[in-house]
Amino acid sequence: MSGAQETKELVCVGCPVGCPLQLTHEGTKLVEVHGHECNRGAKYAKQEFKDPRRGLATTVIIEGARWARLPVKVSNPVPKGRVLEAARLIHAIVAKAPVSVGDVLLTGLFGEENLEVVATRSMERV
Amino acid sequence: MLGRAFGTYDVVVIGGGPAGMAAALGARDAGSERVLILDREPEVGGILQQCIHAGFGLHYFDQELTGPEYAERFFTRVVDQDVDVQVDSYVSGVAVDSSGEKRVRVMSAEHGLVTVPTRSVVLAMGCRERTRGQIRIPGTRPAGVLTAGLAQKMVNMLGVLPGKRVAILGSGDIGLIMARRLTLEGCEVVGVFELMPHSNGLTRNVVQCLDDFGIPLHLSTTVTRIHGSDRVNAITVAPVDAQLTPDHSQARDVACDTLLLSIGLIPENELSQSLGIHIDEVNTGGPWVSSTLETSMPGMFACGNVLHVHDLADFVTREALLAGQFAAEHAAGVRRPKDDIQLVPGDNVRYCMPHSLSTEREHTIYLRCKEPMRPAWLSVGGDLLTKRLQFVVPAEMIMLKIKPDVLERFHGDTLRIDLHAEKGGAA
Repeated sequence: MSGAQETKELVCVGCPVGCPLQLTHEGTKLVEVHGHECNRGAKYAKQEFKDPRRGLATTVIIEGARWARLPVKVSNPVPKGRVLEAARLIHAIVAKAPVSVGDVLLTGLFGEENLEVVATRSMERV
Repeated sequence: MLGRAFGTYDVVVIGGGPAGMAAALGARDAGSERVLILDREPEVGGILQQCIHAGFGLHYFDQELTGPEYAERFFTRVVDQDVDVQVDSYVSGVAVDSSGEKRVRVMSAEHGLVTVPTRSVVLAMGCRERTRGQIRIPGTRPAGVLTAGLAQKMVNMLGVLPGKRVAILGSGDIGLIMARRLTLEGCEVVGVFELMPHSNGLTRNVVQCLDDFGIPLHLSTTVTRIHGSDRVNAITVAPVDAQLTPDHSQARDVACDTLLLSIGLIPENELSQSLGIHIDEVNTGGPWVSSTLETSMPGMFACGNVLHVHDLADFVTREALLAGQFAAEHAAGVRRPKDDIQLVPGDNVRYCMPHSLSTEREHTIYLRCKEPMRPAWLSVGGDLLTKRLQFVVPAEMIMLKIKPDVLERFHGDTLRIDLHAEKGGAA
């Protein structure tokens, strides 16, 4: 029992159960996790404690298509604290129809090689 | 494509969303040669096209997809399987002759008024949102009051923001997702207000859509008045008591230019009703269906949100594949024995689906609770089959498989489903 131990509470988002998690840590070192009903909870707690990230889906302008916006996603989760910044960067993209689902519109978001902005649907030119 | 339609279809599916596309594929899988999807929109995919967030496909594809990706996967299959698709086509009625043959009346942008003969019909029209009128919020009638799903279409497809400073009434998943979506687009979301003491959305949506962005969720609180002449300029909110009655002495005004309503969905059954199909008005708001998802009219099947409002598209897909399969069977002349067990909701069960069962095979039934319970004991037919569930919440459908040996004992009877806080206990 070290005096430096602190606790932090999280809700697991790994599945719809939403287990309430209690994390015990000493500074930046995670000591233990309680409250999870499966392994995903422990994994989520570790990731969330070390480097919280979130999936990001938004839209970009598309020209020459039936709709004014093309839905896109980032291929991997982005740092939680930079979600709004990522959205602003992505919103500067202008796509041109035709587009196919999976087309990469931007690579290396935030200089991270595995962060690609990808079209999530196909849109014909009209 | 309707050039081919002047013969007889085996199965005509009304609606091309997740339910309609899966029903058409289910029918093809089960051997129907000629299957047609009709949709009033300019493209199929239904509401999935505007649900640009991830969270689809975890059950069906074991992979997390966005709505448009989920839709496109099914559309690709629909094309591969030679299912005919007619968009910009509105179904105004279905005539049934004495032999059971059906003629679907379609108003098509391309072909004008067309009659399509078919053996089976699958109703897959989905649902629509409840509006201000249905909960009668007092106040003026300014611009800026709209449903969350409409705002979603405006933002995600039309590229139009509904406002700048947004309040949201109702914490259903669409409301939560729109809170995040509008924040990403630069709007200020001043708060989500929920009449009930618990959120109506999934916990992970509360965490990821509200908590992450510091958007407050006000439980047991409702909107009691809308202010503004041309445009909304404020709403009055007040806490509610256990009877859901607002306490006006604690009311306060919240400045905003937009109020989004995420206050529930209603199966869209005007067509079903006009055909004389029996609707379960009390529990689901959708058609009464047998264990083959057949409505009270032989050869007419229903699936997806037109039947009952689902929380996951994956479950819609599963249900619709079955409906398509049974529609194909019907088209091929197969007639199963009639169900002889009525399934009825008991304590803390808002509804269960389907409405009847047969003893000939295993069934998957879906139910929804009224109140959250943690844990909950699910019992089928008294103490015949009990199951402990970690938790139940109204936002999440419960799935249960029932084997024929359990059903044997209920021939000609009703089978009741209850949820209790304690094993063998009362509500």
